[in-house]
Amino acid sequence: MGSGASIVGLGMTELGRVYGRSPRRFAADAVRLAVADAGLDLTDLDGLLVSHGLGGSPGIELADTLGLRDLRLLSQMNSFGATAGAMVSYAAMSVLSGAATTVACVFADAPLKPKQSAGSAYHRDAPEWYGFGGMTAALGFRSVNAFYALAAQRHMARYGTTSEQLGAIAVSTRQWAARNPLAQMREPITLADHQDSRWVAEPLHLLDCCLVSNGAIAVVVSRADRAGDLAQPPVHLWGWGQGHPGHRKERGSEFGLSTGAATSGPVAMKMAGITPADVDVAELYDCYTYTVLVSLEDYGFCGKGEGGAFAASGALGPGGALPTNTGGGQLSAYYMWGMTPLSEAVIQARGQGGERQAGKNDVILVSGNGGILDHHSTLIVSPHRKGA
Amino acid sequence: MEGVQIGVLRRDGRTDAFFDGTAADRLVIKRCAPCGLWFAPDQVACPGCGDEELEWAPAAGTATLVTWTVTHGRPADDGTAPPPAFLALVELAEGPWLHARLDGVDRAALREGLPLRAAFVHPGEGESYVLFRPAD
Ligand SMILES: [Zn+2]
Repeated sequence: MGSGASIVGLGMTELGRVYGRSPRRFAADAVRLAVADAGLDLTDLDGLLVSHGLGGSPGIELADTLGLRDLRLLSQMNSFGATAGAMVSYAAMSVLSGAATTVACVFADAPLKPKQSAGSAYHRDAPEWYGFGGMTAALGFRSVNAFYALAAQRHMARYGTTSEQLGAIAVSTRQWAARNPLAQMREPITLADHQDSRWVAEPLHLLDCCLVSNGAIAVVVSRADRAGDLAQPPVHLWGWGQGHPGHRKERGSEFGLSTGAATSGPVAMKMAGITPADVDVAELYDCYTYTVLVSLEDYGFCGKGEGGAFAASGALGPGGALPTNTGGGQLSAYYMWGMTPLSEAVIQARGQGGERQAGKNDVILVSGNGGILDHHSTLIVSPHRKGA
Repeated sequence: MEGVQIGVLRRDGRTDAFFDGTAADRLVIKRCAPCGLWFAPDQVACPGCGDEELEWAPAAGTATLVTWTVTHGRPADDGTAPPPAFLALVELAEGPWLHARLDGVDRAALREGLPLRAAFVHPGEGESYVLFRPAD
C-alpha cells in the first residue's frame, strides 16, 4: 500500500515550568519547530488543526499568527485529552483524500504561573458558588482529582485492584523518565515512596497524579509517498479510532469500570490489521496511574479486572513484555494532554529514544483520554508502511 | 462536621426549585413524565424525547453508595492540613446518580450499596444543601 499517511515532523517547545510565553506563542513556536524538523517551510503547510488546554487559547487565529495563507484546512478541535489522536486522524484522512497535503496539528497550554503550585493550576476556589456545577465544587469537588478517585475506587471495589498495583505504574513510568532528558521528574522512586506520598484524593496518592506543564507540541502529517523525501524517518499511521461511551450518571453505568478504549482500540487495531499481541510499545494517556491500568484492560492487553496484576508483574517497565510510557508519560515527563503519548510514540518509531529506545518498535499504540473517562482516541503507528 | 469547609451557595436562576426544596428539607430532582424517566437536578433535557422543560419532582431521599473518595487538602506551610472530606457518587432510589458529600460515615463501613439517606443543612449564610448519611 503506497498511499498511507505519515507523521513527518515533530516540534516540542521547552516544557514544564517555562514562563513568559502565552499559549499562542508556545503553539506558534511548536509549529515552526515541527515544520523545520520535517525539512519543510511554513509555506508548505496547507492545513492547520489547533487545540488548547483549559485556558481557551489558541484558536484558529493561530494561522494568522503564523502568517499562513491559502490554507485548505483550518479548524479548532476539542475532545479534551482525546484531541491529539482526533486531530492526527482528521489530518490523515485529509491528506489521503486530497483535501490537503501537509497538515500541522498543535496543542498548547500554559496553566502554570510563577510561584504557584502545580496543583493549584487545576484547583478551584471561590468565596461563593453558583449553580449546580458550583454546588458540586462547594461540597468539596474542587479539582478533577476527586472525580478520577471515584473511578479508581470503583475499580478497586469491583476487581480488587490495589494501591500498590497503581504504584507499580508510577514506579515503572519513573524508570522510563530517568532515561529521558526531556522529563521533568527523573529521580527514581520506589513503591514505598509511592505509598508514603501524601493522599490527594483516596485512593490516589500524590504519585498517582500527573504533572502540570506549560508548553506546546506539534506534529506534521503528510502522505507516506512524499515522506521519503523529507528530513526525518516517516512514522506511518496504520490505524485510528475513537470511543465516546456516553456513560450516564445513573443506575447501571459502567463509570470507572470500562472506558472508550474498549471501542476505540478494536476500531484502530482492525484498521491497522493487528491484534493486541502485535503491539510492541504502548504510549497510554496517564493523567493518573489508574487511567493506564483501566486502558490496558480495555485494549485487551490483559483481561478485565487484571490490569493491576499485569502492571505489578513488571510488564510495563524497561525490559518488560509491554514497554509502556517509555518517555515517562504525563506522570513523570510532561503534561501536554494527548501530545504527551503521541510525541513519545513518534520518537520511539523513529528509533530516536536514545537510552530509553525500545528494542522492538514495529507497532506502537497511542491513546488519548478526555474528560472524566468520557472521550478516548487511539492511533497505531509504525516505522514501516502498512502491509510492507 | 468533618472536612474541607463547604462553600457558600447562591442561586443562579436555574436552581430555584432545587434550593426551595432543600430549604424545606426536600430533595427535588428532574423528571420527564411522558417518558417516565428521572434525572439528576442538573439535567437540561430528556434524551428520550428532547424536552427541555423537565419538571421538578420530589425524590424519596433514599440512596445507595456507588463509589467514594476521601479528599485531603493541600497541607499549609506549617504542616497542618484540613481534615479529610468524604465525597461520593450516590444512586438515588429513582435511579439518577449525584455527586454528593457524605456525613457521619465510618470509613471502615464504606462499601458499594451502603444504604444512605438525604440530610439537609441550613447554614447561616447562603442556600441550604443536602448531604448523605448512613440510613439507620
Ligand atoms: Zn422525555
